[in-house]
Amino acid sequence: MEDTMTSSQGGESDMDCSDNEYYDEYYYTLNDDIDIEQIDPRKIDPEYFEFNCLFEEQVDRLLNETVETLSNMHQISPSLAKVLLHSHQWNIQEVTRKFKENPTQTLIASRIKPPSPPISLTFSRYINCPVCVTSQSFDKFYSLSCAHMFCKDCWTMHFEVQINQGISTSIACMARECKVLAPEDFVLKHLHRPNMREKYQQFSFQDYVKSHPELKFCPGPNCSIVVHSQEPKAKRTTCSQCKTIFCFRCGCDYHAPTECQVIKKWLTKCADDSETANYISAHTKDCPKCHICIEKNGGCNHMQCYNCKHDFCWMCLGDWKSHGSEYYECSRYRENPNIAHESVHAQAREALKKYLHYYERWENHSKSLKLEEQTLEKLRSRINQKVMSGLGTWIDWQYLFTAANLLAKCRYTLQYTYPYAYYMDGGSRKELFEYQQAQLEAEIENLSWKIERAETTDRGDLENQMDIAEKRRTTLLKDFLDV
Amino acid sequence: MAATRRLQKELGDIRNSGLKSFRDIQVDETNILTWQGLIVPENAPYNKGAFKIEINFPAEYPFKPPKINFKTKIYHPNIDEKGQVCLPIISAENWKPATKTDQVIQALVALVNEPEPEHPLRGDLAEEYLKDKKKFTKNAEEYTKKHSEKRPAD
Repeated sequence: MEDTMTSSQGGESDMDCSDNEYYDEYYYTLNDDIDIEQIDPRKIDPEYFEFNCLFEEQVDRLLNETVETLSNMHQISPSLAKVLLHSHQWNIQEVTRKFKENPTQTLIASRIKPPSPPISLTFSRYINCPVCVTSQSFDKFYSLSCAHMFCKDCWTMHFEVQINQGISTSIACMARECKVLAPEDFVLKHLHRPNMREKYQQFSFQDYVKSHPELKFCPGPNCSIVVHSQEPKAKRTTCSQCKTIFCFRCGCDYHAPTECQVIKKWLTKCADDSETANYISAHTKDCPKCHICIEKNGGCNHMQCYNCKHDFCWMCLGDWKSHGSEYYECSRYRENPNIAHESVHAQAREALKKYLHYYERWENHSKSLKLEEQTLEKLRSRINQKVMSGLGTWIDWQYLFTAANLLAKCRYTLQYTYPYAYYMDGGSRKELFEYQQAQLEAEIENLSWKIERAETTDRGDLENQMDIAEKRRTTLLKDFLDV
Repeated sequence: MAATRRLQKELGDIRNSGLKSFRDIQVDETNILTWQGLIVPENAPYNKGAFKIEINFPAEYPFKPPKINFKTKIYHPNIDEKGQVCLPIISAENWKPATKTDQVIQALVALVNEPEPEHPLRGDLAEEYLKDKKKFTKNAEEYTKKHSEKRPAD
């Protein structure tokens, strides 16, 4: 049974977050028989990514097909083909090219053959095993291509000790300074205990997947899915089994528009500076106008003081009026233009200020995401009540969930724009980025505001806002997602 | 046990070989997995004394490597205050079951005679060794005189 689950991301199959445009496209093509040229999803959607979620047996089949091809092509055993492929990151063209160029050198470089031809001088019926120093008859001895002879019990023991240390594909000959690797068939011939054979196969499977650029283990806990993609890029991947969302390249949380190395640097920095950043974790701030203490219980950063009705931004405590306009400056960090001439002390303070600016916003959007999840839960129970009391059907209210999912997706991207901006060099490109980031942020807060007040917001108005927010997100990714 | 057989053979071979740089090998009859001996270096500044070491073989020997510990204090970039030594030939990744103990000892003696400051266990000493060899030699010599064992007569 072929149970491959093909999925693509971006233009999502679920109802949650597609652009209205795609629906229209789909709709027209189906009903009006208009010959519309097939649109390449790669061009519309910067996050488009094709991948398959495979089970272990399917991965085995995939690997074995490559092994067989190489094995037939060059008349070598499948076991040796595996060693060759593993040492060349499963790039069969590369192996073939090198093999044609210089077969001996390729076998030496892949540690299948020893650098110089072996000298075997054993003609006697009994040999002394150098490892266990026991003399045994010749037929009890085995060697790899390097001709270093050891008795079969020592080989078995050697393999078992190595496997128990988690080593599999890199087990080598027992002779000192000999680098020749023990191929799979040789190892399995000497492993008799079923659990050792199983362990060996499990560890080598992991090694093969890790060395294969088109394969990635799903990072979800206890998930055995392996994702396969023919264009191994830093794109959003969703596991079909455990639903974990991750970056295909680095296996960490998805992080567009930031690159893999940059997000790693950022997360390390945040962990190192956690003490400095801790003080931000407060959930309460004072209203900038009437100074009454306000606790934030929703995700939206557009705050309205319950006391004096003043509209302000939770992040910068500025008047919200300026946030919707051309003068939106909240997301942007204003660097001191004369910093190079300041003292070391002042520079350090400036560096900390800059980091905290970005960290606060990164952290705040992460918190908003969590708070908006709670909003969604509340929404769910309110809709339940409405449906029970005859106010519309479940389907009638579905658009609110679509809106909440879209909001989460937009805010997630927004969160990951902050590390990107932090590491960006100044200049016109950064200005453009910060402009688009500010636009996206403003539209997201508008959307969040409207969702929190869903019952009093007109549906058309909300859907319009969803469309604008998603367009801003896609525009930013199209311009800056560089994968 | 495979370890016993092999260690008896190795012990006999080393004792017969009459190594000058590793002597006074003492092994408890009841436990062949622990050896003690005296490293006798030839090069300055360590040639003013001798250094007691202990070799511990695991039960899985020779499929797992032995461990070496200095029992005498030594001023050396590759040997720390606890007497632990960083010797590539007996690291888990490099270990080969066919490696013999006399090869391990020879590698150890070579390391004592010629420190390798590129991968030190004691960064401070490695730095001194590279930046101010004269000072290092003087310190190591004094330290050897103060802490090391007496060298065998011949």
